[in-house]
Amino acid sequence: MNWNCTNSEERLSDYIDGLLTPAEAETFKAHAATCADCANMVAAVSSLVTNMRALELEPAPPMLINRILDATVGPRQEKASWKSWFAMPGRWVQPRFVVGLATVTAAVLIVIYTFGFTPGKLRKANLNPVDAYRAANREVHLKYAATVKYVNDLRVVYEIQSRLQPSNEPSPETTPMPEEQTEPKTSNPQEKSQTGPKPGHSQARSYAMLAAYVNQGWIETCNASTRLAFFTTSMTATNRSAR
Amino acid sequence: MEPDAQLVHDCLQGEGSAWEELVRRHARRVFNICYRFTGNRTEAEDMSQEVFLRIYKTLPSYRPSFGAFPTWLTSVTRNLLVDHYRRTKRDRVTDSMEDVMPQIENKESMARTPDKLALESELSAQLQQGLSKLSPELREAVILRDLQGLEYGEIQTVLQVPEGTVKSRINRGRIELAKILETMGLRPN
Repeated sequence: MNWNCTNSEERLSDYIDGLLTPAEAETFKAHAATCADCANMVAAVSSLVTNMRALELEPAPPMLINRILDATVGPRQEKASWKSWFAMPGRWVQPRFVVGLATVTAAVLIVIYTFGFTPGKLRKANLNPVDAYRAANREVHLKYAATVKYVNDLRVVYEIQSRLQPSNEPSPETTPMPEEQTEPKTSNPQEKSQTGPKPGHSQARSYAMLAAYVNQGWIETCNASTRLAFFTTSMTATNRSAR
Repeated sequence: MEPDAQLVHDCLQGEGSAWEELVRRHARRVFNICYRFTGNRTEAEDMSQEVFLRIYKTLPSYRPSFGAFPTWLTSVTRNLLVDHYRRTKRDRVTDSMEDVMPQIENKESMARTPDKLALESELSAQLQQGLSKLSPELREAVILRDLQGLEYGEIQTVLQVPEGTVKSRINRGRIELAKILETMGLRPN
């Protein structure tokens, strides 16, 4: 058979797919060995086919399956049931969820152990509501008292409280400011009577109000935090009472 | 019974989970046929949805005598793609520059991905450029044979043409695609 370039082109895929008889394959190769154009074409197409077959499928868009299911069977209500949460672990086992869960668990454990509560030491008797309430009540009051004492002992609170004293018990720290001392000497007595109470006295009163306000705020804040920790503290107390 | 045949049977019995499993098994393949044919991911996603909607409606009429389920699914996909191609033919007659610009962007962005992945992505993008320049008849033949790995007989069933025509289209499609890629300076090694 007289094999030419047209034959090679027509039978190229048969050659690549192994559909030529051994004799035809030999003739095909013999022609390609003598024809540069055909050799080039065989090389290019063989390489293309090899590459295409090795190519992975493109990943489907993430929402495609949901879109198809929504379009065919409609929005799936049953997915919201509790069974689906256990049936689809893939939904839970996601890096962001695992990291979030670990963070929350660590935070809860830190808070629990900070308050001295040891879950392992909890006894059945600790769960008696009356005992638990009494112990918790006592623990909360102790915490509250300790917090008030702590706040009152703070330097800033002490300083403010000490400023309340000048009108009753003058002390070196509470002496009025230089302006306050000089002002009565230079000012007119009439003006003094018009301005009402003494400036120093007025300032001391405003200090007192401020101090009382700040002090109250501190105590309120601590009080709120103490109440927020009520549950944990009560568990701690019942735990202790069991020991 | 084959897994697909069993799923189709269960589906026709009214089991919703069987349909979901069928979709999960074949969505990626259908999406790939659509993507390689249209060259556009969004369009391919819409087409894939349309394919499964058609399958869902016509599933009761499916008989194993039509061929294996994947072959039937491929036929439905191909027919919808051809319809879509004819419907949108007028819209596609635009300046070729519009096609070239996003491809250049793709090539640049892929240069930053890890080696093997980048090579494969680049090859995939180059191939897509070449495929979009092939005629629809040759394009579908090459996609089904070399990207979807169908046998000649299955392609014959899908395209509803004689075996000689299938072979001829695949051969011409491969040669033309190789020439197009070479002209574009994108010959795969």
